[in-house]
Amino acid sequence: MEYAIETFSLTKIFADWWGRSRVVAVDDLNLKVRTNEVYGFLGPNGSGKTTTLKMLLGLLHPTKGKAILLEGDATDPQISRRIGFLPEESYLYKYLTARETLDFYGQLFKLPAKVRKMRIEALLDMVGLKAVANRTVGTFSKGMARRIGLAQALINDPELLILDEPTTGLDPIGTRQIKDLIIELAKRGKTVLLCSHLLADVEDVCDRIAILYGGRIQAEGSVRDLLRHSDKTEIVTGRLSPATLEKIKQTLAGEHAEYTIGSPLDKLETFFINIVARAQQQAVPTSGAESRTQISEFLSAGTDERVRREAILNQLVSASPSDEQAANTDTQNVQPQPVPATSADENLLNRLTEQVDLKPVTTQPTKAEPEPAKSDQPDKSILDELTGRPSPDKKNAHPGDSANA
Amino acid sequence: MRSIWAVAVNTVKQALRLKIAAVFIVLLLVLLPVMGLKMTGDGTLKGRMQAFVSYGLSLTTLLLALLTIFTAAYTLTSDIKDKQVYTVLTKPIRRFQFVLGKLFGVILLDAALLTLFSVIIYSITILLPALLHADNDQIAQVRDEFFTARVSLTPAEPDISEELNRAYDKLKQTGEVPAGVDENPIARNNYRNELARRIGLRKRAAVVGEALLWEFNNVKPEDPNLFIRFKYDVAVNPQDLSIYSRWTIGDVRQYRLGGQVETPMYAADRKDLIRTFREFEVPADAVASDGYLGLEFFNVPLNDTVVIFPLEDGLELLYKADTFTANFIRAALLIFVRLVFLAALAVFAGSFLSFPVAILLCLSVFTMANMSGYIGESYHVVGAQPSGLYSYLLKPLIMLLPEFDQVSPSKFLIPARLFSWSSLGWLSFTTVCLKALPLAIMSLLIFTYREIAKVIV
Repeated sequence: MEYAIETFSLTKIFADWWGRSRVVAVDDLNLKVRTNEVYGFLGPNGSGKTTTLKMLLGLLHPTKGKAILLEGDATDPQISRRIGFLPEESYLYKYLTARETLDFYGQLFKLPAKVRKMRIEALLDMVGLKAVANRTVGTFSKGMARRIGLAQALINDPELLILDEPTTGLDPIGTRQIKDLIIELAKRGKTVLLCSHLLADVEDVCDRIAILYGGRIQAEGSVRDLLRHSDKTEIVTGRLSPATLEKIKQTLAGEHAEYTIGSPLDKLETFFINIVARAQQQAVPTSGAESRTQISEFLSAGTDERVRREAILNQLVSASPSDEQAANTDTQNVQPQPVPATSADENLLNRLTEQVDLKPVTTQPTKAEPEPAKSDQPDKSILDELTGRPSPDKKNAHPGDSANA
Repeated sequence: MRSIWAVAVNTVKQALRLKIAAVFIVLLLVLLPVMGLKMTGDGTLKGRMQAFVSYGLSLTTLLLALLTIFTAAYTLTSDIKDKQVYTVLTKPIRRFQFVLGKLFGVILLDAALLTLFSVIIYSITILLPALLHADNDQIAQVRDEFFTARVSLTPAEPDISEELNRAYDKLKQTGEVPAGVDENPIARNNYRNELARRIGLRKRAAVVGEALLWEFNNVKPEDPNLFIRFKYDVAVNPQDLSIYSRWTIGDVRQYRLGGQVETPMYAADRKDLIRTFREFEVPADAVASDGYLGLEFFNVPLNDTVVIFPLEDGLELLYKADTFTANFIRAALLIFVRLVFLAALAVFAGSFLSFPVAILLCLSVFTMANMSGYIGESYHVVGAQPSGLYSYLLKPLIMLLPEFDQVSPSKFLIPARLFSWSSLGWLSFTTVCLKALPLAIMSLLIFTYREIAKVIV
């Protein structure tokens, strides 16, 4: 089986009440996801990502074309028993407890009671909800519901995992966990279709990506190929002295090359915005939001950054008790993973959980503010991690590439 | 099957935990015992028990019917609206299994709740005589006239068509038929019906000093006692509102043939209130070996009025055929069959309508089913001048309506009439197989082919 997902001219046109065609949500899409790759499906809001997923899974009927999953039709129980799906929101039964929820989905897969019980406990442990397993899902926070949603997608040990915005509502730690999980699943030979508009998520874990706009794939390829400018060279070093910089400039002047010297950018983000902007210039129709300017004038970059930092810090310190437990269990899960960058992650997680343990909950808001000033160096790295900026050697250690071949 | 069961159990949990069912359960748990102790009926023990069983079962039926409609319509529409179907239908479950699971879940809930409330009503009914410290006479009356399931025989209607034609021709000859009636078919029909009613009534009326004879065939009592139940109507009210009478019961053919008297004949002299149902007991050996029983009423000269036995329920011959308990169980099953229909209806509505619209549709059908007699009558009126629209559209729809008011538990439990297994079987067959099943199949088809995540822009 070369492709886990294959679509042929998949098209969806939404009609109005009278049946007249109104919006082309997905337009002649030919998607090929290879077996055992992590495929990122990117696009701004309303670009047709979720519509595509719904068509793949048979929740929507394509106007034209065909989708093949695992060499069959996703509505066939023989095929769907090998697929795990996490929709854009978790869509769970609010009156069931976490454990009952997983049991219900387990029964739909006709798993024997023993296997079901074992998997439920393992999954609850993995997503860090063991302590609240007997609470109804309706009382859960969005992030907790997301974790249960992820657990239900994994209960059948799927070959193909389709995740729609898996990290929405999750705290940075949960986000990190999901990314690690995806990498781990890919290592174990599974195929993952990851649908997101959070670029950092995709960049860290995906082997190949497609960028969707107006229901069409605007670009597709491996992350590194897409992001590499072959006519440019980038050198990343530590901080350089003015003298060294001057020398480098002279050398470069000798080569008559144009150059810029500065700090590295969030590359995928730039790329993504370029793709969307290009699509907009070509006046590709979209059913979603159209952003003509990249950022509103009144939001200065500085404020934006500060607001974001504060928000992240508040989020971290105001974690609910259950989230603390989640974090505690997470630490154990993350530790044995052989990703080189995780030594930093471990520190991060340990520090975070220690902080949460030490600080009484009531004093959180006041503690949140002085922190960046107090310990500048480690906090910066935390924030980089949390905002999803990858460590440079991370991508190299990623195992998915070898699996493609 | 396993996935159907999982969905069914989930549906029951939904109904119980979202407290939809709780409202109805609490209401019934409070109301039923209160009804048992507070309802007085006509003051007698029998009256109290009749009132309790009748109102208790009607209330249970109504509340469970509403609960069924609510739960069944909600469970499907909310799963679609809140999008749980996205996670469920992408699992290895066929859509028809999902809908069947929902339907079975509601039926399962109905079965459990109906059993619970039937047991409560039954227990209170059985305990009521002891709780109320009733005297022996009342207990005996309740035993004979309430805690039983009796077969009712009504005298065969005599064929009066010959007589009717003669009477009509005579009236026409004498010019007493109003002008224009004979030419207009509808008016003539109405006039003849009225005439037939009068002739029929004349046959059920006895002037003073006259006797009326009713003959029954195929009387096969299993119990040593027969009951005669009757109601008098009179032309002129007697002073004490009572009628004196002499009844002769037995094989009256023996007199006519003048042969040997083989079966005993019984006579009863009575004084009974008018316009009230009265009952008296006769030993069952009065029935001849071929199942014949004659019943003669003599309007004794102590009266000074014509005595009429009203049509339909003027006179009945009753004998015990089964127990109250068996009859009660069949009553509960009858209610259950109705709930199954309502569940199928509400699931059908939920498979393509939104919750409020589905509820509206179900409540309309439920109301219409409860007044099917009235709708049937209107149909006869309209049916006199049939139109294409009526015959091909309205009539089939009315035929598909279940008839909840035609046979209801109170109708046979209160007069302690036998509701036989065969009647229950036939009713279940028509309601479930002919009316609920097509709805269920339609809902399965609609849900299977419907675009679940459909968006209209």
